[in-house]
Amino acid sequence: MTDGRSVTKARPAAASLIGDEPLIRLVDVTVTYPNGKEALINVDLEIRRGDFIFLVGPSGAGKSTLIRLLIREQVATTGRVYLAGRDLARVSRSQVHRLRRRIGVVFQDFRLLPNKTVRENVAFALEVTGAPLDEIRRRVPRLLALVGLEDQARQLPAQLSGGEQQRAAIARALVHDPAILIADEPTGNLDPVTGWEIVQLLLEINALGTTLVVATHNQEIVTALRRRVVALEQGRMVRDEVGAAYRRG
Amino acid sequence: MGFLRFLGFTVVRAGQGFWRNKMMSLAATATVILMLVLLSGLVIVLGGLNSGLAYIESKVGVTARLVDGLAPEAVDQLVAEVSALPGVASVEYVSPEEAMRRLEQAYADRGQTLETGGSDISLYASIEVALTDPAAATSVSAALGERPEIERITTIQEQYDKLLGVTNVVRLAGLSAMILVGLTVVFMIVNTIRIAVFSRSREIEIMRLVGASDAFIRWPFIMEGMLCGLLGAVFTVLLVALVWGPIQPLLIEIFQMPTAVGAQFFTFVAVLILSVGLVVGMLGSWISVRAHLAAGV
Repeated sequence: MTDGRSVTKARPAAASLIGDEPLIRLVDVTVTYPNGKEALINVDLEIRRGDFIFLVGPSGAGKSTLIRLLIREQVATTGRVYLAGRDLARVSRSQVHRLRRRIGVVFQDFRLLPNKTVRENVAFALEVTGAPLDEIRRRVPRLLALVGLEDQARQLPAQLSGGEQQRAAIARALVHDPAILIADEPTGNLDPVTGWEIVQLLLEINALGTTLVVATHNQEIVTALRRRVVALEQGRMVRDEVGAAYRRG
Repeated sequence: MGFLRFLGFTVVRAGQGFWRNKMMSLAATATVILMLVLLSGLVIVLGGLNSGLAYIESKVGVTARLVDGLAPEAVDQLVAEVSALPGVASVEYVSPEEAMRRLEQAYADRGQTLETGGSDISLYASIEVALTDPAAATSVSAALGERPEIERITTIQEQYDKLLGVTNVVRLAGLSAMILVGLTVVFMIVNTIRIAVFSRSREIEIMRLVGASDAFIRWPFIMEGMLCGLLGAVFTVLLVALVWGPIQPLLIEIFQMPTAVGAQFFTFVAVLILSVGLVVGMLGSWISVRAHLAAGV
């Protein structure tokens, strides 16, 4: 299954009910680093609105590079990456910030600001985009309620459990009501029970209409949920299958 | 409204950054003060020298003492002929009576009375030649020297040249010192802001991820550098204001010119200090931010 040609194509099912145009489309994308290493090789991928995708593969397979492409931290060496029909390579640097407001990102290490409370961490994401004060006052409690952190609003990250910190990070990632939420190993630093709670939260967010891309090594969760699985190995997409289990290449 | 929010955010973040990184910020502010104190000293000294130069320049001319008993017709002819020389702007005949009146006036200006001890003194008659160009002093002097009506010629060209030389040396040395100190200050601010950027790299990363524009990311740092410059400038202006009174007599003593030390000149120095402080602070932080926040792609 390491050959790119043996890819099982995704079923363009549920999301196609919403609209024909994919939310994200990668066309023959290759990323080559200056040292010559190819992080992604001829990747074709379509993600439709409302999809929930697990991105799996061993370390160094190209998952992080793919995520960096989606959040426009990087551009493809060859090929095209489209978000809602827009070629990301053509987004000027001065416009990248607008694009990023449509994409929420959470990481394994939460990346919360340690000297700010949970409420301040979430509000910060609105403040730095120039959101009016009344919008901040209105949105932040709603987001904290969504992730179940109303009672921890005034606590610092260090006073929270890992799961709570990840919830805070998810609330922050949702401040701009993004079309897509990308979670890079969201359960990597959590115990299994807490990991499941986070996945449940992600499923709820997906059910509300947000497209989810979850990069993970967590076989148990991937196998149990039977969602669409995109597998990368050595930069090639080796599998794109709906209702799949986690499988080693 | 949007701009006010941006401004508020930027100022608050700059203040927080300054305070969090206070040791480096204060060190940068101290170097700004050092530079601005040097600049103020240089500007004050140059101001004095320049006003001295301007004064002498206005006075550069040739004064020729006339032989005694020259007939009024001969004086008229001399004045007419000297007026026709190239480089001469005007010629004024100063009679012995006029010379005495001026001397008395000069004494009166200093609050003194000319005491002649009862004897009747008489001064020489002279002509004062004003020049269109100070460089013509030599040729005009030479022409006057050949005339029998003239006993002695005096010019202040030599003094002017000497002062001009001193002024040029001070200007050159001062500007060189300013450039060196200025570069040091910019370097200090670059480093201060670099440390601020590094210490807030997590914050910057989050700001980028959540869609903060470049302006929201960069301007707090630029404002922080400007804050170092502004604080240094305000401190220097206060320092200069404090010593301004006491140094006045000293400046008048050195330069003999009151023009350089008036309130107007103080305003000029203060505005200059504030502008240079802000510009240097902004420049240093801009360089640092440019170098360290050059975002990926």
